[in-house]
Amino acid sequence: MSDAAPSLLSINNVEVIYDHVSLAIKGVSIEVPRGGMVGLLGANGAGKSTLLKSVSGLLKTERGEVTRGEVRFDGRNIDALTPQERVELGIVHVLEGRRVFEHLTPDENLVAASAVRGGRADMLRNRERVYGYFPRLHERRTAQAGYLSGGEQQMLAIGRALMTQPRLLMLDEPSLGLAPFLVAEIFEIIRRINREEQLSVLLVEQNAIAALEVVSHGYLIENGRIVMHDSSEAMKKNPDIQEFYLGGGAARDFHGIKHYRRRKRWLT
Amino acid sequence: MDWTLFAELAVNGALSGLMYSLVAMGIVLIYKSSSVPNLAQGALTMLSAYIVLAIAGALKAPLWLAIPLAMAVMFGIGMGIERVALRRLAGRPIIMILMMTLGLDIFVRAATMTLWGGTARPLPLGISDAPLFLGPLLLNRAYVVGALVALVLFAVFFFFFRTRRGIVLRAIADDYTASWSVGISVERGVALSWAMSSVVATAAGVLWGSIQGVDQSLSQLLLKGIAVAVLGGMDSVGGAILAGILLGVIENTASGFLDPLVGGGSRDLVVAAILVLTILVRPHGLFGREDIERI
Repeated sequence: MSDAAPSLLSINNVEVIYDHVSLAIKGVSIEVPRGGMVGLLGANGAGKSTLLKSVSGLLKTERGEVTRGEVRFDGRNIDALTPQERVELGIVHVLEGRRVFEHLTPDENLVAASAVRGGRADMLRNRERVYGYFPRLHERRTAQAGYLSGGEQQMLAIGRALMTQPRLLMLDEPSLGLAPFLVAEIFEIIRRINREEQLSVLLVEQNAIAALEVVSHGYLIENGRIVMHDSSEAMKKNPDIQEFYLGGGAARDFHGIKHYRRRKRWLT
Repeated sequence: MDWTLFAELAVNGALSGLMYSLVAMGIVLIYKSSSVPNLAQGALTMLSAYIVLAIAGALKAPLWLAIPLAMAVMFGIGMGIERVALRRLAGRPIIMILMMTLGLDIFVRAATMTLWGGTARPLPLGISDAPLFLGPLLLNRAYVVGALVALVLFAVFFFFFRTRRGIVLRAIADDYTASWSVGISVERGVALSWAMSSVVATAAGVLWGSIQGVDQSLSQLLLKGIAVAVLGGMDSVGGAILAGILLGVIENTASGFLDPLVGGGSRDLVVAAILVLTILVRPHGLFGREDIERI
């Protein structure tokens, strides 16, 4: 499958164990096509962040380990690479909770992230490109990043990731703690970058409403397993998704929860 | 009150304080680039002085050649410390890393004791003992040289932390995981900070060694270095300079007046009091970064 026309990213049957005992994801497979924009939806603790870390190589800093399956990027197995080598290949991971360099200015945040690529001229051109996407960051370029608003910090985190000139942008809950209009604004910018630069995007979200508006395909992860994979249109229409992730449908009663459990087993 | 004596104590205190800044600067360099408080800085300072003597002895090299060679060796030792002792600890709780630097301190002191024994060795830099006259004040020439070296290094690092590489080091200090996520080699950054700090330790070791001789007591500069670094704010090179001057002035004048009353030995008491008070009253020091709490 991945030999003929390989997806940019293919995660094949990956299993992740923390601390040698705790099984966080159990045989997950996901494909991100070139230039595609894919969503990974699921509740807290479902294993979304763990999956991203298995791609960016940040698992080992948390004593996690890919114990089965493989992650292929551009047709190549990357499991043995360090986080830095993966960024050089073009994978970048925007961490949950923004994690900007708080004591640096936005300018410096972007400079720090350009360490893996090119000379000073490249860096400056690249930085102007980022400020082009996020003019609001440009206005605050010399403020201390820790004092930016949540939305500005999220923009900075994304801009910082773009400084590495990635081919795959992985975003972990960019909507976390942001007002809906900001979420819409940021997602629109991400979609624009995806279209204009053919940058592939893997968007991890709890906020299924917002995410399904911008991605073309979605995966639903529950308890460390993928339980659904479909186009975003089909997912929006799915009654389970509507009921439990889009907040629509009937009120939550005992019957509903039982029904949900049953459906989940069936899907698994 | 004898104002000339007071001024002389203050000025010489400021100069020796700048020499404490040299030790503090080594601590600040590491903290600013990796958020590790290095308790081995005093031991590294002492080690560097021994290495200068060893190179001068073994190669029959003059000191002006032995010192840069020792700096090169210390650069390598700094890199080695990261590789052997700290790399596996990256991302682990800070207390483990702190204990590791304490372990390094004990290790280095024990190793120098084993290799070179406890007797003090002279490290003559050829700085004249004759005092320098500034109006009615007598200045210690060795302190003047040390203070100038400290100021030059301050200028170097002030600009360094605004270069691309310097910004990367500050980013590492802010957030290891975020640094990894954008492809920064945290390991290499930490190694560089230890290497730079070890080179600064060589400057401090040579200057202090020339003043008080080279023996185990050089490692006790850690107390002054920590006090100055904490007072200056741990991650501010400029803070380390100003805090050094401040601490030197207070130490020298206070002990100048206290010593005759209590029969001597009040210097370390003054320094310890400043360290404790800083932590109680202003934990981020005079110029340190405050942790940002957004609500």
